[in-house]
Amino acid sequence: MYRRLLELVLVCISLAQWGWAQEVRIWNRTVQAHGFVSQGFVYTNQNNWLTMNTTAGSGAMTEMGLNVSSQITDKFRVGAQVYDRNLGQLGQWHPSLDWAVADYRFTSWLGIRAGKVKTTLGLYNDSQDVDFLRVFALLPQSVYPTDLRDATIAHSGGDIYGNFTLRHRLGELSYTAYAGYRNDSIYSGYPYLISQWGTHLRGLGGLQYGADLRWNTPLRGLLVGASRMNQDISGKGTGFVRLFDPAAGIGPYYEFSKANWTNQFYGQYRIRRLQIDAEYRRYLRDQVILNGTSENITDVRGWYVSGTYRISKRWKVGSYYSRYTVTDAFGGLLATFTPDQTDTSRPENHLYDTAVTAAVDLNRFWDVKVEGHFMNGFANAMYPDGFYPQQNRQGFKPNTNALVIKTGFHF
Amino acid sequence: METSMRPSIQPLAIAVFVLFAALCALAGDVKIIANPSVKADSISVGELRRVFLLQCKALNDGSPVVPALQKSGPAHDAFFRQYFGRDYEEVWTYYQGLVFTGKASIPKQLGSDDEVVEYVAHTKGAIGYISPTSSTDGVKSLVVLPDEGKRERTLVKRVEPEYPDTLKRLHIGGIVRLRVTISPKGSVDSVELLGGNPILAENAIKAVRQWIYSPGASQSKVEVTLSF
Repeated sequence: MYRRLLELVLVCISLAQWGWAQEVRIWNRTVQAHGFVSQGFVYTNQNNWLTMNTTAGSGAMTEMGLNVSSQITDKFRVGAQVYDRNLGQLGQWHPSLDWAVADYRFTSWLGIRAGKVKTTLGLYNDSQDVDFLRVFALLPQSVYPTDLRDATIAHSGGDIYGNFTLRHRLGELSYTAYAGYRNDSIYSGYPYLISQWGTHLRGLGGLQYGADLRWNTPLRGLLVGASRMNQDISGKGTGFVRLFDPAAGIGPYYEFSKANWTNQFYGQYRIRRLQIDAEYRRYLRDQVILNGTSENITDVRGWYVSGTYRISKRWKVGSYYSRYTVTDAFGGLLATFTPDQTDTSRPENHLYDTAVTAAVDLNRFWDVKVEGHFMNGFANAMYPDGFYPQQNRQGFKPNTNALVIKTGFHF
Repeated sequence: METSMRPSIQPLAIAVFVLFAALCALAGDVKIIANPSVKADSISVGELRRVFLLQCKALNDGSPVVPALQKSGPAHDAFFRQYFGRDYEEVWTYYQGLVFTGKASIPKQLGSDDEVVEYVAHTKGAIGYISPTSSTDGVKSLVVLPDEGKRERTLVKRVEPEYPDTLKRLHIGGIVRLRVTISPKGSVDSVELLGGNPILAENAIKAVRQWIYSPGASQSKVEVTLSF
């Protein structure tokens, strides 16, 4: 792993030497190439986090991307990005096509993108991998859970998008409407979570469609918006033929959506060097599981408020308070074994996180971040939230403090 | 006491003057240029922002535009400070957000004023910024206007209406109210009569059609009242 990482860093440094405007001419077209790689280290005082053995300190937190794009005409553009990551047990160095789009912009109020397109959801869903764009090493996990990135990150399909300038100095409206197919890696959070019960998914994905509307208000620096996403997700693989009876053997497994939707509301205010963000997300997932024998209704509500301040050209600081609650209700066969979990005051059903960060840009290509997290709860539910029983076999403690150090290189 | 203070005030006054002059020079440290294919002679601050934030590909008059950046330099810094109210670093982060999510490519980046002029002169629809002292051979300069609503169309040329002698002698007068439609370039597109003496109105309309206003980002309308 370390050899691979070293090779990639050397490639990145070589590319950076090439010049900071990474452009080449191919077939009389200008082609831009950009990339990033980041490496993190996480230490926690209690509970292992994000599928890493963080109580011993873990450096299994690497991600990278490389893209090329070209403006074919003034209205038509093509591009693609390859992405790879290793986060504890997730990703496991299996590269994927992150996005690959053909984009035609008819006019400012109408454009279309087709291919594999990053999903617009809230302020940061589409850019959540691009660490160097923000101050925080980890985005608020109540709204942007990094172990569940695959669930929202992109769809194979298309977007219609555009922006309008409103009359009477009422600001600008931007919209995106999309539909496509979501395809999760089997090395993502949900397949990993349910592997603890002997279920191994070979495929997870389905229809994803929705829209986002954001308003740059007349008050300069104030943006507000709302997003909605509907999904129809099914998973296939293998699992125990009989619940709680491994001796009965392994057979085919499937699950599918009865309802799956996300509502997200957000606001951002920028004044001089200060930026304040606030977002609320509700995610409801009613999934028929265990080969149609049971039903699991997971209701996730998360919100955060964050503030970042640019002290100087290089130094930035930030802090956020993030609040996550989850309830689980059961139907069918599972309901006879498992009571509903609806009390969000229990640490099993919430995760409150206060984070503070200092970030420095060592130069235009290289940054370092140091972040502290002070977490209450571990929200060990039927849907992932960062704390997994597989790494916490001794049981969970109610509080966890974490230190995250991350460095990133981009060009 | 008074005489003893004089020597210390003079250097202070000079320093203030130099600082003021430097700030004035900084404020007007950038000129917007465009390829001659761009029809407009002016651009609003809002349009300029939208073009360089890659939110639109054409000006309000329909001219397609392609932004060109400088990599660094005084004009570069002044441009982003003056029209975006931000450091370029923040705008660069914005560009990278678009690039890494597959939503745009970073605009062409050039090394100097001369390179920008060369590129803009030879690229259809190109729009860029340079220092005010740089040559603009082969390109056109665009006037940057405040955003619509933050400015009024000022009258540049006024032609007085003829007041027929007969009416004057008979003391027949009054007011004429007109709605004037002004083109983005400042000429009067049309005049609509809202009220007043029809005989006086004919002469009023004839005169107002020859008026010229300051350029604007788009067509606008004003109401005019003329007294006879």
